[in-house]
Amino acid sequence: MALLEVRDLQTQFFTRDGVVRAVDGVSFELDRGRTLAIVGESGCGKSVTALSIMGLIPRPPAEIVAGEVLLEGRELTALDESELEQVRGRRIAMIFQDPMTSLNPTLKIGTQITEALRHHLGLGRREARTRAAELLDEVGLPLPQQRLDDYPHRLSGGMRQRVMIAMAISCNPAVLIADEPTTALDVTVQAQVLDLLDELRHEHDMAMLIITHDMGVVAEVADDVLVMYAGQVVEQAPVEELFDNPQHPYTEALLGALPQLDEQEVRSGRLTAIPGRPPDLLDPPAACRYAARCPYASRADSCTTEMPALRPVRRGHLVRSAHPACERAEAAAEVPA
Amino acid sequence: MAVNPAPRRVRDRAPWRLKDRRYRAAAESVTAEQRPERPQHEAGAPVRQSSLWRDAWRRYVRNRAAVVAAVAFGLLVAFCLFYPLVSPHDPYEVNFSQASESPSLEHPLGTDRFGRDLLTRTALGGRVSIGIGFAATIAILLIGVVYGSIAGFVGGWLDNGMMRFLDALYGLPYLPFAIITIAIFGNVTFWVMVVALAIASWFTAARIVRGQIITLKQNDYVRAAKAIGARWHRILGRHLLPNTLGVLIIAIFLELPAVILGEAFISFIGLGISPPDASWGAMAQDGRAVYRVHPIEIVIPSVAIATLILSANFIADGLRDALDPRTKET
Repeated sequence: MALLEVRDLQTQFFTRDGVVRAVDGVSFELDRGRTLAIVGESGCGKSVTALSIMGLIPRPPAEIVAGEVLLEGRELTALDESELEQVRGRRIAMIFQDPMTSLNPTLKIGTQITEALRHHLGLGRREARTRAAELLDEVGLPLPQQRLDDYPHRLSGGMRQRVMIAMAISCNPAVLIADEPTTALDVTVQAQVLDLLDELRHEHDMAMLIITHDMGVVAEVADDVLVMYAGQVVEQAPVEELFDNPQHPYTEALLGALPQLDEQEVRSGRLTAIPGRPPDLLDPPAACRYAARCPYASRADSCTTEMPALRPVRRGHLVRSAHPACERAEAAAEVPA
Repeated sequence: MAVNPAPRRVRDRAPWRLKDRRYRAAAESVTAEQRPERPQHEAGAPVRQSSLWRDAWRRYVRNRAAVVAAVAFGLLVAFCLFYPLVSPHDPYEVNFSQASESPSLEHPLGTDRFGRDLLTRTALGGRVSIGIGFAATIAILLIGVVYGSIAGFVGGWLDNGMMRFLDALYGLPYLPFAIITIAIFGNVTFWVMVVALAIASWFTAARIVRGQIITLKQNDYVRAAKAIGARWHRILGRHLLPNTLGVLIIAIFLELPAVILGEAFISFIGLGISPPDASWGAMAQDGRAVYRVHPIEIVIPSVAIATLILSANFIADGLRDALDPRTKET
């Protein structure tokens, strides 16, 4: 059984304007020792998926209306708040996007790290402090003992993100969720933080769920990739397979929008952008949600009237499109014959 | 034929580069011992500690008016606390042979119409006025913090209900509210005044705290704390309430003058502290009867009240600028 299993998760926001279907039937499995990346553009439901797993969605207005989140076989969406508090930080932990605002400015670093240690592991003040210093050392902060008595404003963004990581791994969680952990950091620091996360994932034998919109990050750390679009999974594949054989037109477009080095030379010409914008999740079309922007969809197609199912096109490669790349190739081959 | 400028520029720069390299080589050949003495800092060690409170202090003392106000406030409080201990006169002793005297060496501010030393009675009245002021302010803040943080933290329908209840209370006029409370208790003591004033004026503090909690609740670090499994009381007590401290300190000095003025008014209209005990309001009430023939009797407590309120307001102003520099009015 998978360590973390999400089945048909549906999270909706009940707003004054209507129901926003932020996450609409997301399913995936995450095994021990693997890293799964969820990619997609802003507002496609990546972060809400992560927050739903953690039970941290703001309710109201948000609500998990259907689906299951199984962590080590335990159904998280059925737990009440106090039971969830025992799981959060202990079995599943999360790192947030902006380290500048994720630490309480009025508390010392030491106080914030020991919070989880004392709560979950029941360590005393002394032991927790010693352990906190070890953790800071492990995430690569110099002079960990002295850092414990510092307030967050004295640390740089990269250092703070390391502190956040130390807090997240402090109780040896089985699953670590990283929500755009490098977005707010300098490019040079991004690489260091990604390396650190990968290293820690290895050493602590965790499973990692990394949420990003950066294909470079995906290529760097992920084993498997989940591409989300407008609240749905549109493609799921192992990382090499996805980069080598993108099937969904949206994934192709995402990869096409990346600057690349071809044969030592910067690819000339403009980057391809995807025309149009994602559909309004207040009232999503009944058809394929990408149809309006898809170069392969035509009015005669079934995909402009009904939702394509998420189906396997190869081994371990799922795609939700009426026009996956492999079938387009076949269709093109058939035409001259 | 035009000379291509690019190679020349490179050539021009070459000697500099060379020199540069020589300098660098020379610098590297200097061993650690030969290097000039520098203040030793461990890597990453702080050069100078600076805390929130020290920064706030620095900003506060830069505000001249606030410093003067703080000194005046401190002197007035110290005078009220200690003068009755060293005063040669009994503030309660009635002596009609020296009634309504003008200031003299014996009685620096003169005497009232019962022959009691005004300076001593002013200090005594100040004890009551300031004491009621502080006690009621603290009560107001306690009620405000509890009420406001519950409403703000829980949110939803509870918050809605609690705030509408507050709106309804806001509609009631302040002083009749206090007067009714006093009437319910019957006899007026120090603590009855405190309760009456607190009940009549805790609404603003509750609103301030609620607003703060709601703003703070949306901070990322609150979500981060939840993500490591922090329980609600930990989030409220560790992450939210300490961050409202600055606002509360300012609120003390904003509420204090209002409460002292309220006490003075209630005593002045004869419902407050009753003779022979004194508060500044009660003293002003005493002086009102003789203001034509012996005006100093009403002037002294009035000046005392005005000084206290003015200085508290200036202190609140200075504190707001010191503790929340971003909202400084320019």
